[in-house]
Amino acid sequence: MEEHITELYGEAELQGLRRSVKGWIAALCSVSAIALIACIVMAALTNTANADRMELAVIIVNIAVGWLVIYCGTFKAAVKKHELEHALMLGKEERTRIAGTPTVTDQRIVIRRSITARRVEVQGDGEVHRLLVCESRAKALEKAGAVAVYAAHGYIAAFER
Amino acid sequence: MRILKNIFSHLHIFVLWAMLSAMLWAWIFTFVTDTTPDKKVTVYCHVPEIKSTELAIRLEEDMPDGLKMIKVHSFDYVMFNIEAIDKGDIYIIPASETEQFADDLAGDGVKVYDCAEGTGIAKEFIGYGEEDYYLFLGAGSVHLEDGKALEVAEELLKIK
Repeated sequence: MEEHITELYGEAELQGLRRSVKGWIAALCSVSAIALIACIVMAALTNTANADRMELAVIIVNIAVGWLVIYCGTFKAAVKKHELEHALMLGKEERTRIAGTPTVTDQRIVIRRSITARRVEVQGDGEVHRLLVCESRAKALEKAGAVAVYAAHGYIAAFER
Repeated sequence: MRILKNIFSHLHIFVLWAMLSAMLWAWIFTFVTDTTPDKKVTVYCHVPEIKSTELAIRLEEDMPDGLKMIKVHSFDYVMFNIEAIDKGDIYIIPASETEQFADDLAGDGVKVYDCAEGTGIAKEFIGYGEEDYYLFLGAGSVHLEDGKALEVAEELLKIK
């Protein structure tokens, strides 16, 4: 029987993650720069009549955009960055082949500000191996109909059909 | 729900950012809304009530050339910056207080509020107390020589 090994993070997925990280960083930098320019313009347009309103507006814009950037930077961009690092790590590490059918469970392991993993049970040879898979790739693993998985540091890196 | 959970888990960062932003921009605006003494005329009013911003806007309508702004302060301002009052350009002071500030005042004052008659200048902006009030030029004003303090004082006297 011909073995067919599929990487969970193939070149296309890695490119997608790289684009996503760069996209988030570019978007957050752009929003920050636009907000800063807007605040500087508002400060430049300040006169005696509108000073109080302008100061309030600048503070509100600055706080709101800052909160948006903090939120997206921490919970969106950083998560993608950590997922990319996780994927690159899986590509480099030594792997162990575990024969059996993987079942993705509903159990989630959330690593704060980093990846969310799903628990996977691989049944084979009368033994159950408990592994993890990054949530974004869990569906791909579920649909694959794998007969064996390749794991590194307890995470599934590839599967065999 | 997840968004709220994320926010609450980092609430200290969001609060810290809000505080730092407010303090930083409030500090920056102290410079944006002020300038050097040679580019502004400062009016100090020792009165119970004053609409500082509105009066400043009114005076800026006919501002002498070379000035960037006119600042109007209540005497309460002195509690934050005692040195500023020595450099005031124009003062409106109650008759009973003129002795106290004599060193800061130049020349004779002009009566701007007559308590007995209830008449005075800029009553729309200034709430006078129960006594007469006088307008003085400041002895430490940088605008005595160039006449800009006098020009603004004359403009102030025109406001009914």
